[in-house]
Amino acid sequence: MEIKTFTVVDLKTALVSEDFWLTKTLPITKHRALSYCRNPRAAEDDPVLLVAYQDIQVIGYLGILPDKIFVNDAVYKLGWLTSWWVDPSCATAGVGAILLFKALNAYDQYIGVSGVSRTARKALHASQKFMALKPLQGLDIRLRLNVTRDIPRRLPALKIFRVLFKIFDEMMDEVVNLRSFFWQQRNNPDQRLTFEYISTIDEETDHFIQQHHQDDLTRKEKSDLNWIMNYPWVLSAPLKDAASKRYYFSSRADRFSYLGVKVFEHHNEMIGFFLLKVRDDRMSVVYSYFESRHATSIIAAVFQHALVMNVSILRLYDEQLVAGFSDLGCPCWSAKKNSREFSLSKVFADIPLANYRLQGGDGDLAFY
Amino acid sequence: MHAKITQMLFSVIDELNQLRPPDEHLAKDLETPLAGDSGRLDSAGLINLIAVAEQKAAAELGRPLLLTDDRTLSQVNQVFRTLGTLADYIHLRLNEQNDG
Repeated sequence: MEIKTFTVVDLKTALVSEDFWLTKTLPITKHRALSYCRNPRAAEDDPVLLVAYQDIQVIGYLGILPDKIFVNDAVYKLGWLTSWWVDPSCATAGVGAILLFKALNAYDQYIGVSGVSRTARKALHASQKFMALKPLQGLDIRLRLNVTRDIPRRLPALKIFRVLFKIFDEMMDEVVNLRSFFWQQRNNPDQRLTFEYISTIDEETDHFIQQHHQDDLTRKEKSDLNWIMNYPWVLSAPLKDAASKRYYFSSRADRFSYLGVKVFEHHNEMIGFFLLKVRDDRMSVVYSYFESRHATSIIAAVFQHALVMNVSILRLYDEQLVAGFSDLGCPCWSAKKNSREFSLSKVFADIPLANYRLQGGDGDLAFY
Repeated sequence: MHAKITQMLFSVIDELNQLRPPDEHLAKDLETPLAGDSGRLDSAGLINLIAVAEQKAAAELGRPLLLTDDRTLSQVNQVFRTLGTLADYIHLRLNEQNDG
């Protein structure tokens, strides 16, 4: 077994190499590799991908996303672990352990983890090298039932009733539309709020974010949000392509996009900015910036976008947006609590992190 | 020293076995396979073994032991092949500390 460490420079070389892409299992997709290379918080010599090879075939890999966290006036560089995979036929070869410890060593133990699988959580817990941060407590708000999609997923035998499910969904959608109509009449977000859509962060938004991100642990800036929007890990595509069949993490979805939304009140005062991620029939607010007094207006704006963009589930992580949602009485079928877990390695133990805000896109979560 | 290391590793096995179902308990035997083709530990198991061994080395042998450095990671399948090979490796590393 050989472990290869790919820095940003190495990955740039790999992107144009033919051999790197010939393995039966891919350790990364091309668009994800391009994203790693364009990460504004990565230095050229930062390790970003560890790959375990056995006889020129890939038997494991682990991605690392360089980032910075800000506490008071101090800046700490760290790597977020992402896409940790080991070939099940090599489960006892120690591959997963080597990848984890190599990543820790490569970043002087400054490592973070967000939203892990059950297997990864078990391994990370076993290492005794990580401490859990206070998880983000969010909401999954079901706006549309979408039984056409959900029931055949759970009970494939019922696919034959697809037409009936579709009719049922359309009837229920009309109920949603009616409830939403009355909600909009009551709340009048159209009268009070105006929007501007952006695919890259402009100067006004940059200035606004800088005024509102001081309590954020990762203090995302213009270059970071532009990178997220312009270098996605998941592409909108109708079918699985050859690469996505050889890669074990998400690389495509029927619908995947980001949308930056600037919110104005009384036509000229910018009161908020949020970055939406839409994946198939789900929408998440991955980053949001606003003052507390505008939370109700911002959640109204988010909710209105979820309605017109025809998603089934709206996912929120910001606690003020979650509270605002409850106050606003938005029509929905259900609202279930969800949580996002974050862990940092114990080298951060003495750093006062508790007063800082994590957002729903932190770690690698903006990309899935 | 080797006997102390073996004893320390047996107490590591006791701790690991507390987290494993009875039919997957590891035997306190130097021939017990750990990692590799006939290994009994998956990634989480091996990570746990390393973490507990480092802790117990400090507590029971009074010596710091690092099993996650690049030197060890480059020979995982040799070092962790059996409990015996791990004992030998720890012995070697502690001797090197003495010599250093």
